[in-house]
Amino acid sequence: MKNKEYDITDYAKNIENKEYIINDGDSFDAVIVGAGHAGCEAALALARTGQKTLVINLVRDNIAFLPCNPSIGGTAKGHIVCEVDALGGEMGKQADKNTIQLRMLNMGKGPAVQSLRAQIDKTGYHRSMQSVLENQKNLYIYDGECTEIIASNGKLEAVKTADGKTFKTRAVVITTGVYLNARTITGEIIKKSGPSGFPYSKGLTNSLEKLGFDIRRFKTGTPPRVDGDTIDYSKFTEQKGDTNIQTFSFLTKKANKNIRSCWLGYTSPETKKIIMDNLDKAPMFSGVITGLGPRYCPSIESKFVRFADKDRHQIFLEPETVDDNTIYIQGMSTSMPMDIQHKMVESVEGMEHTKILKYAYAIEYDCIDPLNLFPTLEFKKIKGIFCAGQINGTSGYEEAAGQGILAGINASLYLRGKEQIILKRNESYIGVLVDDLTTKGTNEPYRMMTSRAEYRLILRQDNADQRLTEIGRSVGLVDDERYKKFKRKMKQISKLKNEIKRTIPPSKELKNFLESLGEKNADKGLTIENLLKRPAVKFYEANKKLKLVKGYSREVLNEVEIDIKYSGYIERQQMQIDSDRKLEEKQIPADLDYSSLAGLRLEAREKLNQIKPLTVGMASRISGVSPADITVLLMYLK
Amino acid sequence: MNNISNEDTIVAISTGASSGAISIVRMTGSKAINIADEIFITKKNTTPSSFTPRMLTLGTVKTKSFNEQAMCVIFKAPYSYTGEDMVEFQCHGGSQISQGIMKECIRCGARIATNGEFTKRAFLNGKMSLSAAEGMMDMINAESDAEVRAGFNLLSGKLSTIASRAQKELTDILAEIEVSFDYPEETIEYITKKSVKERLATLRDQIEEVLKTASTGKLIKSGINVLIVGKPNVGKSSLLNYLLGSERAIVTDVAGTTRDTIEETLVLDDIKINLIDTAGIHDTEDKVEKIGVDKAKNLIKQADIVLFLIDSNRNYSKEDEEIYNSVKDAKHIVVKTKSDLESRTQKHFDEEIEVSTITGDGIDLLKSRILELTKLSNIPAESVIITNERHKEALKNASSCLDRVIKNITLDTLDLVSIDIKQAYINIGEITGNTTSEEIIDQIFKKFCLGK
Repeated sequence: MKNKEYDITDYAKNIENKEYIINDGDSFDAVIVGAGHAGCEAALALARTGQKTLVINLVRDNIAFLPCNPSIGGTAKGHIVCEVDALGGEMGKQADKNTIQLRMLNMGKGPAVQSLRAQIDKTGYHRSMQSVLENQKNLYIYDGECTEIIASNGKLEAVKTADGKTFKTRAVVITTGVYLNARTITGEIIKKSGPSGFPYSKGLTNSLEKLGFDIRRFKTGTPPRVDGDTIDYSKFTEQKGDTNIQTFSFLTKKANKNIRSCWLGYTSPETKKIIMDNLDKAPMFSGVITGLGPRYCPSIESKFVRFADKDRHQIFLEPETVDDNTIYIQGMSTSMPMDIQHKMVESVEGMEHTKILKYAYAIEYDCIDPLNLFPTLEFKKIKGIFCAGQINGTSGYEEAAGQGILAGINASLYLRGKEQIILKRNESYIGVLVDDLTTKGTNEPYRMMTSRAEYRLILRQDNADQRLTEIGRSVGLVDDERYKKFKRKMKQISKLKNEIKRTIPPSKELKNFLESLGEKNADKGLTIENLLKRPAVKFYEANKKLKLVKGYSREVLNEVEIDIKYSGYIERQQMQIDSDRKLEEKQIPADLDYSSLAGLRLEAREKLNQIKPLTVGMASRISGVSPADITVLLMYLK
Repeated sequence: MNNISNEDTIVAISTGASSGAISIVRMTGSKAINIADEIFITKKNTTPSSFTPRMLTLGTVKTKSFNEQAMCVIFKAPYSYTGEDMVEFQCHGGSQISQGIMKECIRCGARIATNGEFTKRAFLNGKMSLSAAEGMMDMINAESDAEVRAGFNLLSGKLSTIASRAQKELTDILAEIEVSFDYPEETIEYITKKSVKERLATLRDQIEEVLKTASTGKLIKSGINVLIVGKPNVGKSSLLNYLLGSERAIVTDVAGTTRDTIEETLVLDDIKINLIDTAGIHDTEDKVEKIGVDKAKNLIKQADIVLFLIDSNRNYSKEDEEIYNSVKDAKHIVVKTKSDLESRTQKHFDEEIEVSTITGDGIDLLKSRILELTKLSNIPAESVIITNERHKEALKNASSCLDRVIKNITLDTLDLVSIDIKQAYINIGEITGNTTSEEIIDQIFKKFCLGK
C-alpha cells in the first residue's frame, strides 16, 4: 500500500501499461464525481483500500485547486487536517510539503484551541496532489463532466458523462464542490462559470433531484487578487511565521521554512464611503444574488451594512504562490462591479497604485440538503451513493477533505460488505461536522469552529493520531509505516508516564528554575509529575534546564505534559462524555412513526420524521426538538 | 389525533378521600366518552357523546347498585387537561357514591389511574412543560397553602425565567470567550479574565440567593421538624396532644411512658409542622428506652426547632441542665409547662414561654414563636422558592462549577475554564430545557463583525 510519490514528469514514463485508457462501458467499483479536496480524499481512500476507482473531473487543472484563500488550517480547521492525516489521508502531507509560512494560532490560549495554519503555495499544492492521484494504483482519472447517476429500482447502476460515455459502478461519491449550475457575479456581469473561470457542471442537478435529493442554492465569495509588486508594504504590519512547531502530518519529519510573510492592514473611511455610496450596484443588496451566504465569511459590503458603526475593517495580504507575486486580499470579499473594486482597492493606504489581477466575484451553486444523508454520508434513499464536501452545504477545503475521507472509507466498506463507520462527536471534529450536518442540517455554508465541539479538550490537534489512527488502521487506510511509527510513539508515551513518577531531589538548579518562573515552594524535592502540574512549568524548557528525562521527542513530552497538567479538566470533560453516553447509545427503531407521538410538538414531529435519527442523542441535537420532546421520546421508548 | 396512551382509559376520584358536599370522578382516554354513554343518561334519553363539550349536563348515573342524580361534562381531545377525550361526573359527596361510579367505569373498561397519571398524560400529550408538570405534581401533593404557592410559582414559570436569565448571561460570556478562539486575528476587544471572573461572581451570587430558598422550599414541602424534648413527665406528650387537639400519645404519670418517638403533622398558618415527641432524655438502663433516648439525641441534630420543656412544678435539676446542654446549640424555645400549677422553679432563662395544656394559656404565644423562628410565615407570594430536588441539584451544580471557574481562572487558560462555564450552562439548562452550542454561535455572529 506504500505510495511512492512521483514528480509529474514521471507520469509519461509510466504509461507503457495501457490500462490507463478509459473506454465507454468500463466497470468500476466506485466513481468519484469531482476532484476537489473531498474528491481527492475519497478517491484515494477507495483506491488505497483496493477498490477500482474512477475520478470524473471537469479539467485536470482544477484538481485540488484552492479557489479562495491560499491557506490550509486555521482554528478548528487545522484540527480536521490532522484528523484526515491520522485516518491515512493526504491533505496533511501535501499541505506540509507546500507550506510557505506556518503559524500556530491561539498559542498560549490553552491546549484545546491551538490550531495550525499554513500559507500554501497553491500551484504547488494542486500539482503535487494531482501527481499523487495520477500515480495511485487502482485510480483512474477521466477528464469530463458527469451528467447523470443511473439507478433503477433503488439500485445504483452506472454514471453517464456529457460526452455520452457510460461507466458501470457499484458506488458513487458525489463531490462537486461549488460547480453545480454555478454562476459567478461581479456587479452587473453574471457568468455561467465555475470558480476562477473554470467550467461549470450543468446536467447533474436534475439527475440528483430525480434520485430524491433536495436541492438548495448557496452562495460564497472571494476577494480580488492584486499584483504584490504594486503594494507599499511599509503601510502594513508584517506577520511572520512561527518556528519549532508541529506539522499537519504525523509523517512529516520537519516543517518547511517560512519563506513568505503575510501583511496586516485596514480599509480606510474612504473605502466605507465608496461602498455605502454604491450599495445599489451591489448584487448582494440589489436582489441579484438569492443564494444563502455564510455569516462568517461576509462580503465587505455586508460587513459595513451590518456593523454600521465600524469605520474600517481589517484586511490581510496573503501570498498566493511562489511562482509569482500575486496577493490575495483577505477581508475584501465582494461582488461589486469592477470599477468600484478598483476604487475600493485604491482607497486602502499603501494600495493607492495597486493593480488588480483578478476581480472578486460571488459564486452561487447548487448543493443538497445534508439531512438527506446518514451520518455515514451515504444517501438515505439509495445504497452506495455518498456525498461529501461543499455539495453537503459546507465551506472550506478542510471540511471538504474531512467528509471526503469519511465518504471514501464508507464507500469502500460498503463495497467490501463491511459495516460502515460513524465518527463520534467525542472522537473527532469530523464527527462533530458530520453529526451537525446530518442532524441539524445547515442554512448557510457550514464552517467548523472550535465552539461547535462540546468536548474540545479531548479533541486536540496534538492527539489526533491517538484518536483516529486505530480507526484508520481498521479500515485498511493506515499503512505499516504510519502504524509502526504510531505504536512506537504510544510506547514512548506510556514509558514516559511511568518515568515522571520519579522524585527529583531538592537542588539549587531546581530552586533557581522554579523561582525564575515566579513559582513558590521551590525548596523541596518533588515528582516530575507534580512539577509539570505547576502552570508556569513547560516540560520542554524544564527538561533542557534540569535534564529530567532523556530520549523523548518534543511531541511526546508535549502530549504527556498536557495529560498531566490538565488532568482535572480532562477528567471532567470525560465525565460529560460519560453522562451524555446514555442518550448517545439509546437506539431509536428505524420505523418509528413520530406522528403518532402526540406529546411531541408539531415541529419536533415533522423534524424527527424527516431526519429519522438513529439515536436519542442525535434526536436531542435536532433543531426544533426540545428537551421536553426528548423526555416524551424517552418515556415512549421505555 | 392519536395519543401515545390511547389504549388505556383511566379513571379516578379527583376530589380526594375526604367527605365534601360533592365529589368529582374523572376519566380520560379514547374510550372515556363511550364508557360515559353506557352509564350516564339524561331525562331526554341523550347520552354524553351528544353533549356540547365543556357544558355541564344534568342526568342520572346508573350503576349496578344505585342510580344517582349527577352532572356530567365532556371534553374532546385535544381541548382537555390531558389532551385526550375526558369525562367528569360531579356527584353527591360521600365515598360510597363516587366509589360506585368509579367501579362502574372500571366495569365498562376503564382502569384505575395511578398517582399523577392525569398530569403525566397532560405532559406526554404536550399540554404542559416538564417543569410545569412538576409544579402541578407539587401542587396536587401539597398539604399546606405555602406549598401550593411554591408549586404555583413553578407552574407559572418563575424559576424558568430566572434560569433563562442566568443562561443568557452565560451564553454572552461564552460567546465572547469563544470568539477569541475562533477569530484570534480580528480587531475586536476580546474579553478579559478579570471581566469573566467578575461577571461569573455576580451570577454565582444570584444563583446562591435562589438556592437559599431551597432550605425554605424543603421546609415548605416536607414540613418543619419541631422536636419536643424534656425530662420524663415534663409534659411533652400533653403538649403534643394539645397542639394536635387529639390523643395520639399515651400520657401517664409514670416517667418514661413514651418509649419511642411520636410524629404528628399539623398545619399552622399555612405552614406544615411535624411535631416530634421524644422519649424522655435521661440516663436509663432500660434497654428499650435506651434506644428511644439515642434516637432523641440524634433527632436534635436533625430538628429545625427544638422545644425544650421544663416543669414549673419541679425544680430545675441537673437532668434538665444536661438536656439543655444537648439542645442549646440548636434553634430552640424554652417552654415552661404546667403553668396552671404552683411554680416551684426560678426563672432560669431570659426567654421562657409558660404554657398550660389544661387552660391553654401560652399556647398561642408558643405557636407564634414557632412561626417566627421558621421565618416562613412572611414568604412573599410572588417569590421563587426551590421545592424541587432536581432543580436544587441543578442550581447547586451550576454554582459549584462557577465557583471552580472563579478559583482557577487566574492560573488557567480561558479554554480550560470554559469547560466549567459550559457545564454550568448545561446544569441550568436542566431547568429551562435549553442546551445547545448553536445559541453561543448565534450570539457570536450577532455581536461581532467577523470573517474574511
